[in-house]
Amino acid sequence: MKKLLILSGKGGTGKTTFASNFINISKARVFADCDVEAPNLHLVSAIKDVKKRENYYGLDKSVIDQEHCIQCGLCKESCKFSAISFADSMYEINKHMCEGCGVCNYVCPVNAISFVKYIDGEICLYEDRQVFTTAELQMGSGNSGLLVTKVKKNMQEYIKEDDLVIIDGPPGIGCPVIASMSGVDMILLVAEPSVSGISDLKRIIKTATSFHLPIAICINKHNLNSRLTNEIIKYTKENKYNFVGKVGYHKAIIDSINNGVFLEENSKAYKEIKEVYINTLKIFS
Amino acid sequence: MIIVIPTKTSGEKSFISENFGRANYFYVYDTQKQIGETYINEHLDNPHGVGIKTAEFVLKHKADIIISPRIGEKSMELLRGNVKVFIPNDSIVKENIKDFLDGNLKELI
Amino acid sequence: MRIAVLSGKGGTGKTFISVNLAYVIKNAAYLDCDVEEPNGDLYFKGDKIVKQVDVDIPVIDHDACTLCGKCADFCRFNALAIIIDKVRVFSSLCHSCGGCKLVCPVSAITEVKKSIGTIKETEFEGHRVIGGEMNIKEETGVKIIDEIIEISKDILEDVVIDCPPGNGCSVMGSIKNADYCLLVAEPTIFGLHNLKMVYELTQVFEKKVGIVINKASQHKIINDFAESENIEVLLEVPFDKELGLINSNGEIAAKDMKYKHFFEKLADKLLVRKV
Repeated sequence: MKKLLILSGKGGTGKTTFASNFINISKARVFADCDVEAPNLHLVSAIKDVKKRENYYGLDKSVIDQEHCIQCGLCKESCKFSAISFADSMYEINKHMCEGCGVCNYVCPVNAISFVKYIDGEICLYEDRQVFTTAELQMGSGNSGLLVTKVKKNMQEYIKEDDLVIIDGPPGIGCPVIASMSGVDMILLVAEPSVSGISDLKRIIKTATSFHLPIAICINKHNLNSRLTNEIIKYTKENKYNFVGKVGYHKAIIDSINNGVFLEENSKAYKEIKEVYINTLKIFS
Repeated sequence: MIIVIPTKTSGEKSFISENFGRANYFYVYDTQKQIGETYINEHLDNPHGVGIKTAEFVLKHKADIIISPRIGEKSMELLRGNVKVFIPNDSIVKENIKDFLDGNLKELI
Repeated sequence: MRIAVLSGKGGTGKTFISVNLAYVIKNAAYLDCDVEEPNGDLYFKGDKIVKQVDVDIPVIDHDACTLCGKCADFCRFNALAIIIDKVRVFSSLCHSCGGCKLVCPVSAITEVKKSIGTIKETEFEGHRVIGGEMNIKEETGVKIIDEIIEISKDILEDVVIDCPPGNGCSVMGSIKNADYCLLVAEPTIFGLHNLKMVYELTQVFEKKVGIVINKASQHKIINDFAESENIEVLLEVPFDKELGLINSNGEIAAKDMKYKHFFEKLADKLLVRKV
């Protein structure tokens, strides 16, 4: 069993495009979407039967019991997040701004403030012949490494010995990305030839290599900027990173996503992605 | 010597967890007494700082050795100098302890 | 007028639209609130004035500390722990709530300032450019965004706010005092899904919204959504290789006469709404 994680640093470089095509090419039985802030893989996955849904709870948040509140205003004074407001002769906690620190609970002289469970998102498991786990965070919730870990744990029991598991990762370099890396065997980085794409690529390489995980790099939309494409290839060579190929900007890719169909096997786009897939597996085998 | 191992289920027949801070259980083994005990990870569902709490747990048990495939930066920073980390084999807890005592596990650097 | 530019996911062209929009509005200020991946200054190059952004974090007086553990128990973010014989502070996890200081029975905790990032200011052809950058390894840049918005309160000219991606708390901070939210989306089912997410957020805060379709094509999926929700599509930027090249090289496309009109048209439509 091998787990391949697909990451990019910058958003919108084509992680999900690679993930969904890799799933198609490899006929992967188990896969997951760890981009919990903006999950997209479920939109193109062929499995539509949700087998299990469960709420994800983040940190509890504070709430004021209006009946016991004596309106002293101490809570509002002590809140460092400006989450408590006074309007219509009532003190109220804005649940989007409350960080759940518990300071207001502590300072309230009449114990009118308590913690309530707060649904921060939802975890989903799809199953038919394939198994797919994903999750979505509620609006206003911060980044969540814990939710990423839960998504991965959810699929764990379905994985068999000889599976290739494909995981669509979150963007950025923060806590969810680090959580997505645990337990994986290899990482494919999808780079984009733009000045911002390169600066983000370098940041994600730093993060991935600090965990001693083997990485491979590919370029998406290479024909949009050949100068920067060459710069990325040169950079990977100089630093002895594995380069596994480039895929052009193809209208066919966008059409296949929008129409919910797989790329035609004789299309240029399919062939380019398949080559990246084959090279990636070669490196890691 | 005290060994701490993050595990998936309880007991010495459990497999080792891929995560350290977010393991389901911790198996704490005393090599002198030859006794092991399983602890539930109380911070499993805590969104923040599990690595720190786990390090606190390890130090509270005065452990010398951790057997875990990886360990977060924050835990490592706290444990460095007090605890050594070894990379497990693919087998269950019991086999790993045996392999460690026989000198067959590699240290994680 | 204060215009916030948002999108549900990264890489849809938020920075591209904001930079060029700010450029064509005379003396408009540009605020880069994407403090995790700030890219605005790749376009607006120039000498910068740098200011530190600080938060309060606890320090422990180890002589006074009795190791009672109340602070570590209180901290919901696990930023404090008793490690062997000392209370240690993990400042990257600290949310600066001040709780530990409140609960310490022997007043062994005080607060000190710690830098979590910087704010850089520059002047670019009459435009005031303010951007934030979070230090690597910090977990949240909300405080930096708050500070940028605070600084920008005195600006009398029009303001374009380049927001962070997603629909989390940092986006909420960025649109706090915006008059108008411009939602950038690509015409794919991914783009639509993420547009819906961020639209929902703007509606909770009762903001006026409009849509910009980037890489517009024959696929009218975003237009259909806009029509069904009664949102105006203010601009469609067609997919254009040359335009993509200019932008990927970090150049301002609106400097080119060929593309300037897109953004002027957008600016005209937006500024008409000014009261």
